[in-house]
Amino acid sequence: MEINSENIRHLAELSDFALSEKEIESLGGDLKNIIKYISELDELDTDGVEPTYQVFEMENVWRPDEIVSQDATREDLLKLTQNEKDNQIKVPRVL
Amino acid sequence: MKYIPTIGIECHVQLKTKTKLFSEVDNDARGKEPNSCVSPVDYALPGMLPRLNGEAIKMAILAGRAMNCEINAYSRFDRKHYFYPDSPKGYQITQFYHPIIGAGYVELPSGTKVRIEHAHLEGDAGKLTHFDTYSLVDLNRVDTPLIEIVSMPDIHSARDAHDYCRELWRLMRFAGVTYGDLYNGNMRFDINTSLAPEGSDKLGTRTEVKNLNSFRSVERAVEYEIKRQTRLLDAGDKVVQQTLGWSDATGETSPQRSKEVAADYRYMPEPDLPPIHLSDEFIAAESAKLPLMPADYRTKFGEIIPHDTLEILLDYPELMTKLSELSADKKAIKLIANLFTSVLLAEEKSAEYLNDLPSGKDLAELAKMNAGGELSSTATKEVFLHLFDPQMRGRGAGQIAKELGLIQENDLGALEAIVDAVLAKPETAKAQADFRNGEEKVLGFLVGQVMKESKGKANPSAVQKILREKLK
Repeated sequence: MEINSENIRHLAELSDFALSEKEIESLGGDLKNIIKYISELDELDTDGVEPTYQVFEMENVWRPDEIVSQDATREDLLKLTQNEKDNQIKVPRVL
Repeated sequence: MKYIPTIGIECHVQLKTKTKLFSEVDNDARGKEPNSCVSPVDYALPGMLPRLNGEAIKMAILAGRAMNCEINAYSRFDRKHYFYPDSPKGYQITQFYHPIIGAGYVELPSGTKVRIEHAHLEGDAGKLTHFDTYSLVDLNRVDTPLIEIVSMPDIHSARDAHDYCRELWRLMRFAGVTYGDLYNGNMRFDINTSLAPEGSDKLGTRTEVKNLNSFRSVERAVEYEIKRQTRLLDAGDKVVQQTLGWSDATGETSPQRSKEVAADYRYMPEPDLPPIHLSDEFIAAESAKLPLMPADYRTKFGEIIPHDTLEILLDYPELMTKLSELSADKKAIKLIANLFTSVLLAEEKSAEYLNDLPSGKDLAELAKMNAGGELSSTATKEVFLHLFDPQMRGRGAGQIAKELGLIQENDLGALEAIVDAVLAKPETAKAQADFRNGEEKVLGFLVGQVMKESKGKANPSAVQKILREKLK
């Protein structure tokens, strides 16, 4: 996959990151290196090999449907936000 | 030109588990303060691990079986990434590659079959309320378990779209997996509509109207889209593939934010949740818990209850269960079904009453008294309503009828005495003579006099019979 300033901008937009031209340039270099490094895996022939989704061979880890009281309160949640109003998280208008 | 509309529907159903899909907090936020039913797992503090709610899996099996679907032995979860304030995680946990519910179908009352492509488990998003310059975020709804039901494009009219959504609602309520409160968004519908020229084997470009929460808006939105797209195509314009919102107030659809293409969601396997692997025995055991479905009730009661009455009652699983308690007494089933629609559902407090129905035994007793002529139809209705009165109920239908003085006099000897007394009155002499001269209608007057004498307790048809005997 080719990394260029256009798809870096697109990725940034998807995650709502504001990037300066300089950052886009340096990130482009970093991403190219990362992808080149990961691409070494492409040399392996994985045809017919089941994808590995997790390394522990667990399955059916379910919990009972019982309410357990939480240590974290609403105040703990709201403390993590920049702005709050009426016990809700206040964000710039979206949509 | 004539176009054939093709409609596919995605439906989100909130499951009524006690806790959320991945955390142990209260899943029922009705009437609760914003952000009071939230766990750090829901808002993804670093180090938090989701743990799957076993009950949601069992409910998904029931929901799937209610739609005649295969249950997949193997399923697992994926992350669907998007950036929006309704999801602090930055992704939704869903089943993109391996859903728990496979193919099936839903049969509409009209007989139309709509195939189900698949249905999967996922967590709901938070709720945003928009104001002029800001939005407020309430995370109570985050990771409420949802099943998303994806239909095949088998629907070809606004009416069938309406009926499909309504049938899904019924199936999910009868299966007992959701409260099904549409007003509060327990079920939400996305409709995909496209038009193709008649005879064409290719589908047209589709639009998606998101987040409808009533059958009526589904029907209206489909009607509107068919009209709008017809106008565009007739004018030689193209339908743009886009996501639309619907306004009940204006009765129109309008474009929403540009839809991110699927690859932008950057799906990846959810590493924190081990896969689900269900044995045949487990699936069979859970499937066996599925109660009777609307189609079963149509077979069971179709010959006994008039079609229109039955279709109304099929909106209320609790009433159908109650009717099933009345054993095989067809007359009783018919009478009580009728009382349910004409009396109970007409009551202002019917929603409250539905939560606390009289016992099957009380209703059976009431039906028996009616059949035996002890209660007139008016008196039957009155006793029926009193069975919903917390002060009265518990005494039983017979006792209530007695206390209210509603029992009809069927004792022929006693009735005859009253009739004799009335006939002995000089003011009835003329009516008696008229009747003997062939004036049928005065019989009503005489019956009325006897009813009055008996303080309304006489059985009018018995009175009529005695009068006819006496006035021969």
